[in-house]
Amino acid sequence: MLHIKCPHCGMRSQNEFSYGGDATVKRPELGKEISDQDWDNFVYNRKSLRGKHWELWQHLSGCRQWIKVQRDTATHEIFKTLKANEEIS
Amino acid sequence: MSLISALANVHHQGQFGDFEDKKGDDLLKISEKKNLLIVQIVQFKNSNIPIESIDIDGLKLKDTPLNVSFNDNTRILWNGPKNWLLVSSKKDLINDISSTCKEIDFAITDLSHSRAVIDIEGNYLIEVLKKGSPFNFDELKKNNSINSLYNNIAFTVDLLNDKPFKVRLFTLRSFGESLYHSITDASLEFGYENK
Repeated sequence: MLHIKCPHCGMRSQNEFSYGGDATVKRPELGKEISDQDWDNFVYNRKSLRGKHWELWQHLSGCRQWIKVQRDTATHEIFKTLKANEEIS
Repeated sequence: MSLISALANVHHQGQFGDFEDKKGDDLLKISEKKNLLIVQIVQFKNSNIPIESIDIDGLKLKDTPLNVSFNDNTRILWNGPKNWLLVSSKKDLINDISSTCKEIDFAITDLSHSRAVIDIEGNYLIEVLKKGSPFNFDELKKNNSINSLYNNIAFTVDLLNDKPFKVRLFTLRSFGESLYHSITDASLEFGYENK
């Protein structure tokens, strides 16, 4: 069983969390001219990386907060977790 | 108007499972808790009110994980950042909450009729909880509360006492009978008495 350290609640089972996608995707800035390709990249196109990866997870059955999780997609090892408003360094 | 409790159709008095030759705290006691005031208090993100200034029934809101502020009548459970669940036997406390927590800073929701509440007491209680929940209950201390899952049913656990163990479980009213079934099924092995 995978365990994720919620920055709010502490170490919890993965069963309590819900996966929310790539945490590095940035929304195009408001009020700027955006090409169709940029929108495509923001909404649909994702890389399927092997190795360390920042992901969004929601602690759905706990504090219900969104968090950022750095996980190795090959080994499932979790290196770091951050609150949603904390910047990835 | 007559009120029908969440577990009225499933909770019946008696002794069940392996109850023979078991006495005192070795026999689990399961009861439905009714007539509680249950209020969700959420502070808005843009609110600047210091939560230390809020006083409800002599209790402070604390933004500390697992924390329960309590007195004889009222318990305030930490539910998440700036999010609390107030449980009280004082039904008229809702008026105090509404006047203390202003609408501009807090969202106050009365959940009294939308939760099923189960009290369980006994030495084998933690074993029953471990059977269905992925949480490590050895870490849970007296007067702590958590949100977790029991057989994939979302529930809140409030550890009222640790000698003997006593917890109060909250779940959505519509999930109440399912949770009750799961809990009583897991309790058969140890024997339980319904009160």
